[in-house]
Amino acid sequence: MKSHIIIFSLFFFSCNLEKEIEISLPPYSSLPFVECYIEQGLPLRLLLTKSSSFFSNFNLEDPELLQSWLYQNAAVSIAFNGEKYRLLNIPFFDTETGKFYNYFSPIIPDSSYKGQYLLEIVLPSGEELSAETYHLDLVKIDSVVIQFNVDSQARALTYFTDPIEEENYYRRVLHKNNLSGEPLQSFTTDDRLVNGNFVFGSGYEFSQGDTVFNTLYHIDRSYFNFLESIQRAVDGNGNPFAQPSPIQSNIKGKANGIFTFISKDQTSIIVKK
Amino acid sequence: MYKVLFLCLLSLNLLSQNSFSLSGSIMDTTSGETLIGASVFIPHTNSGTSTNEYGFFSVNLPFLDSVEVVFSYIGFSQKTLFVSGKSNQKLSVYLSQGVMIEEIVVSSNSFEERKKSAEMSVNTISSKEINAIPMVLGESDALKAIQLKPGIPSGNEGSTGIFVRGGGADQNLFLLDEAVVYNANHLFGFFSTFNTDAIKDLKLYKGGFPAQYGGRLSSVLDVKMKDGNNQKIAGSGGLGIISSRLTLEGPIKKEKSSFLISGRRTYFDLFTRAINETSEDSNIPDYFFYDLNGKVNFQLGENDRIFVSGYLGKDDFGFNSDFFNFNFNWGNQTATIRWNHIFGPNLFSNTTLTYSNYEYNISNRLTGFSFGVGSGIRDYNLKSDFFFNLNNAHQLRFGGALTSHQFKVGQLNGGSDDGLVSFNAGSSIIGNEYGIYLSDEWSPKKNILFLGGLRLSGFWTLDSHRVFPEIRFSSKFDLSKVISFKVSYADMVQYMHLVRNSGVSLPTDIWYPSTKNIRPQASRQWATGIQWLVTNGWLITGEVYYKTFQNLVEFVDGAQLFVNDNLEDEFAIGRGYSKGLELEIEKNSGKLTGWIGYTLAYARRGNFVPISSEKSFAQTGFFSPSFDRRHDLSVVLFYKISKKLNLSATWVYGSGDLVWMPTGRFAFQDIPGIPFLPVVPDYQNRNNFRLPPYHRLDLGMNIKFFPSWGESSLTLSVVNAYDRRNTFFIFLEPQLREINNPPISFPERIAARQVSLFPIIPAITWNFKF
Repeated sequence: MKSHIIIFSLFFFSCNLEKEIEISLPPYSSLPFVECYIEQGLPLRLLLTKSSSFFSNFNLEDPELLQSWLYQNAAVSIAFNGEKYRLLNIPFFDTETGKFYNYFSPIIPDSSYKGQYLLEIVLPSGEELSAETYHLDLVKIDSVVIQFNVDSQARALTYFTDPIEEENYYRRVLHKNNLSGEPLQSFTTDDRLVNGNFVFGSGYEFSQGDTVFNTLYHIDRSYFNFLESIQRAVDGNGNPFAQPSPIQSNIKGKANGIFTFISKDQTSIIVKK
Repeated sequence: MYKVLFLCLLSLNLLSQNSFSLSGSIMDTTSGETLIGASVFIPHTNSGTSTNEYGFFSVNLPFLDSVEVVFSYIGFSQKTLFVSGKSNQKLSVYLSQGVMIEEIVVSSNSFEERKKSAEMSVNTISSKEINAIPMVLGESDALKAIQLKPGIPSGNEGSTGIFVRGGGADQNLFLLDEAVVYNANHLFGFFSTFNTDAIKDLKLYKGGFPAQYGGRLSSVLDVKMKDGNNQKIAGSGGLGIISSRLTLEGPIKKEKSSFLISGRRTYFDLFTRAINETSEDSNIPDYFFYDLNGKVNFQLGENDRIFVSGYLGKDDFGFNSDFFNFNFNWGNQTATIRWNHIFGPNLFSNTTLTYSNYEYNISNRLTGFSFGVGSGIRDYNLKSDFFFNLNNAHQLRFGGALTSHQFKVGQLNGGSDDGLVSFNAGSSIIGNEYGIYLSDEWSPKKNILFLGGLRLSGFWTLDSHRVFPEIRFSSKFDLSKVISFKVSYADMVQYMHLVRNSGVSLPTDIWYPSTKNIRPQASRQWATGIQWLVTNGWLITGEVYYKTFQNLVEFVDGAQLFVNDNLEDEFAIGRGYSKGLELEIEKNSGKLTGWIGYTLAYARRGNFVPISSEKSFAQTGFFSPSFDRRHDLSVVLFYKISKKLNLSATWVYGSGDLVWMPTGRFAFQDIPGIPFLPVVPDYQNRNNFRLPPYHRLDLGMNIKFFPSWGESSLTLSVVNAYDRRNTFFIFLEPQLREINNPPISFPERIAARQVSLFPIIPAITWNFKF
């Protein structure tokens, strides 16, 4: 009887209900896409690229491939603490993080500065883009508790204290053993539901000797909205139950992207009984 | 207060005492069920009436010693009686299910009744038709069946959401024995909650709304449960691929009281548990749903009858592992207590007390932590309707209703077992809705009939109170003996809004009231049409409509609808319009019966402005909603080969629905420690892509057997007979390749992929009746 059920289920669910089709999407005009994160202790870096129509293919053999993706020859500056700093249009590859930028300035923001940062971009066409962000205080991780189950697998519970009086947004990232691999967790949350003690849990996916890297980003509302909209846009393509979303950018002008201050606390702990 | 009401009713009775009346009920001989819409005709005056939704009728008699009165109903033998016109008469008329030749006559008469009525934009479907239409996995479904009528877009597996004349899925009022059913879906929209075995009558209004209905903009689906056989114990049921059902009914006291109890339950969970037990790697979640309907009624003397009915339905989805337990259940409960009272030969009343509840609950537990969320709505409603036969030219109807709604929005609680972390959220809002109405069916001339009404409705919460007049009007002019011309107008107001972000029906969709900031939705609909009784058994209906919408609800970009104490900030308010043409050719006599329905429709909505200035609604101007289906065609045929063998076929064709597709994409590098996302879709204009047309052929065959204990039948169905792969959704799939220096992935090729839900699906169901 059971084998009949399995055969029936296999037959029913193995029908090929997915196929490739040809469709024609409405026309699309390329837009600049900006990514710039202000982090204390690090120089000013910005990535300015172009979006493209969904079906346009990059020629991966083309030596000019990067040039067709990057938005070059823009005038980019960041102003803070009464000074305006020009970012030069030079490629910069951070070998430690694997991240790439095409506008760079060696200026490192002063860690004592807690004011506004203003981004201005003038595109080669003369079109102007701008954005602003503000310093955000660090929210520190209070503790990380390791718990083992009966199979000797461990989970990490990360506790921190949310400032009660403010509306706060967070990004939580959890890595196992190194910071360059795919994170076990990466999500955003806010303090609508919880004020005070917060805890982030993990699955039982650590073994004795593993290193747990916990990173807690205290982020602003515009970055939270931007990340959420990115997630919804990704989910919207492929999940029939998800509602797509336009990108909620904080760049003023005809562009998408994010300009934000990064305030992060990071801990590492080795799993042991 | 009661004395004043009594005096008013008494004076109404006296008003109509200038002639004598025949009143009473018409019933099925076999079961004692009252028949809704049965015809009462007086050949001498060429006038008549039909039974109302409670089976009651009242008609004025000519002042003669003996008046011939003809009683008829579709599928039943007609009956002729002679009564005295010189005194008030009261009758309980029993009709028997007819033989073939009588069916032909009486069926045609039913078309005649529809042509004669001032009502327009109404669709009905019988239980027989619902059961004969082949459905997915052999599960007959009233809501799916009614979608085969014009003006109610059909097709699209995976959703019982109906989109009537450009209205959204939230703009339909589902009534089961007068109690509101808030979520009429099982299994995420694959099946509806209405158990066909327990249904006596089903009527869907899509325009020209009578004044007694209110609270939704686009349609009213009024489902009446059977009363229960008051002649003998009877039963029916069936065994299908995914569910079984059983209905028992019978007299408590013959002809005076009866009961009905009906249940249906799926057994997916039995199969999935068996699979889980077979394979150690398998951990398929448990899922089942059930429906339970019950009803009793008592005749208390000549003039009073009490009905008590209820419905209980639940879906249950569970997943359990060593460290993680998840349970998600949702369902409706309704209860109705109804009192019919006959004040006199011309005045009849129905007073109803109903209770409706819909809620969903999600509970989650993983070692050391628990989390629960739920939402719902609960109603208590009291309403009274009076039917007054002033004379043969004026049939009045008036009444009122008061409903208390309790909206439970985003109830959440959770935390850790050690108490270090705890959180909760949610709100509960009380809203009260009321409506009073008066309508008159006035026949100034033999070939003209007006049905005019005024409804005054209102809604109050703690911080707001709104009142709206709603004008309802429909009329019929007979252009000839076989052609009638109809016109209607209806204002509708909707005080509650369904919080639903995606187009797909989910149990977590919740209702939210109009408040100080959220104005009620409103619509105005004009419709006109003709009905042409071509010949015996053939009816052609054509209607055009134009409808405007105010204060339509959409949600802002990236709306946070799940557990949000500031839900109002997520609303955007706009307006819209729709227009269309509906054609239907029906044949209800002979071996071949059925209908062909076609709809040409346009719907647009736009100018949405977020309530909160901090939120955005990127789409500017007007756009088409996803259900803006240009063409919709349904062909439904039944062929009776013999008493034992029936065939059926349905073919539907519809323009594809609109979907929101990304037109562009960009690459998102993100911060250190997070992988590069080579493709992020860029969504711009909403609903910018039309899916391929939908079409499907379903075939059915019903073989009847007549054993000594009753009747049984085997229903064989093949859904999607030519294996059309209709589109459920489309996604765009990039094929990536990494380049060096810097090591970034780029899409080498992007493919559009279509996912379908159903291949060809055969099914077999065994039904029985005794």
